[in-house]
Amino acid sequence: MREVSRRQVVAAGLGIAGAGLAGGATAAAFQLLYREDLIPGDPIDVRLQPDAWRTTTDDLTFVALGDSGSGGRQAVEVASRMAATYEEEPFGLIAHLGDICYYGSIRDRFEEVFLRPMGSFVDAGVEIELAVGNHDGGIFFSDESLAEIETTLELLGTPDRYYVSTHGPADFFYLDSSAPSLLGAGALEQLSWFENALASSTARWKIVAMHHPIYSSGLHGSSLARRELLEPIFVRHGVDLVFAGHDHHYERTLPIDGVTYVVTGGGCKTTPVDPQEFTAFAESTLEFVLVRIDGDRLVSRAIRPDGDIVDRFELGATDAR
Amino acid sequence: MRRRPAQAAAAGYALIDAAVILGPSVVLAAAAEKGGVADLHGLDLIIASAVIAAVHARLAYRRMIAEIRAAVRVTDAWIAAINALVVLALAVVLVLLAVLGGFADEHAVLVGDGWPVVGLWVGVQLAAVAAAEITGWLVFRWLEPSAGSRGPA
Repeated sequence: MREVSRRQVVAAGLGIAGAGLAGGATAAAFQLLYREDLIPGDPIDVRLQPDAWRTTTDDLTFVALGDSGSGGRQAVEVASRMAATYEEEPFGLIAHLGDICYYGSIRDRFEEVFLRPMGSFVDAGVEIELAVGNHDGGIFFSDESLAEIETTLELLGTPDRYYVSTHGPADFFYLDSSAPSLLGAGALEQLSWFENALASSTARWKIVAMHHPIYSSGLHGSSLARRELLEPIFVRHGVDLVFAGHDHHYERTLPIDGVTYVVTGGGCKTTPVDPQEFTAFAESTLEFVLVRIDGDRLVSRAIRPDGDIVDRFELGATDAR
Repeated sequence: MRRRPAQAAAAGYALIDAAVILGPSVVLAAAAEKGGVADLHGLDLIIASAVIAAVHARLAYRRMIAEIRAAVRVTDAWIAAINALVVLALAVVLVLLAVLGGFADEHAVLVGDGWPVVGLWVGVQLAAVAAAEITGWLVFRWLEPSAGSRGPA
């Protein structure tokens, strides 16, 4: 048997060590590649008919979408399906549930993370209203993240971190569900505003849009602290529907004290979901939600980029009361 | 090493080499497919990777056979091959992530200007292949300094 040389030992040792490193590193890297939407997406080349929707005191069609801020191919696929849906069923509002910019500053990336997928809707006059997400400004309210939030609000024309807007038969209550604003020093002011806004609302439908879900079977899961604060308010004031993002899947709860909770965070990437006892339906998928209100009837559909309907449900305006 | 086992082993190595190159594009396509994107999504990246994988697998096979024949100790050829494969596996995905994540703005601008993203993809994969080939060549020459002056065994 030939004698093993020192060089063989060194080279073989490096190879074995490298194989161990490669195994661990590539496994983690593949998970990252699988989860994050990193391949840049092409701009959507479609011209939508402006003002094609019909909003009256009885009718409204809108989209709820969350966590779309990658600027990647999957975000563009979701937006492309939204554009195709608009051509069949025009909508005048996109209620965005936050995280419109990942991987960098929104001022630097606004064109690719927002205008590239959403530009067609902006040009068509669709209103895009935002509930601030943790990636839109950071959850710890540093000076840097404050500036980032303000930039986000300014670029989107969002009036404030929390606000109400009226569209047809529905009032939309956009909350800032970040920790400092809802669980910290800013909580009293926001919750006081929220109670007053709900109490003075005479809309047939009350819809809340926020980033962090209080009922979720996803990776981050339910925010129990936020649930403790917000759920009594929702129930007390007859909120019909609560949309949230943050977890990158689609989920609808069973009605809980008259309120239906929907997670629609599949705007560009997916994370796992493990249905809980409150779940009516859940799926880890890219999607957006199209909602049609016709008087006392609300029909909601979660739509995948390939056009498949993931989930469909109906609510009656009197169901929550 | 006898001729047939060497050819079979080198062929197996070449297949693993091809699979490593194809890996990232398949992972991306799987993620999109699971997310409900239409079937042709990511096909451009898979095709690009398949072409590079096929060409490099053939090169890797021929390199293996040549080095096995030229080496005083066949083990040296395999040590060099394993080192090359390790570098390929690391580079093909880590370089991709570094380039995509570290230069997201730059890529987005290029794509916005009409540059196909498959060009970026091919560039990253070719860089990984080059790193692997250089590693394999260096390690084999280090283990077998006189291999270049000998003909096939």
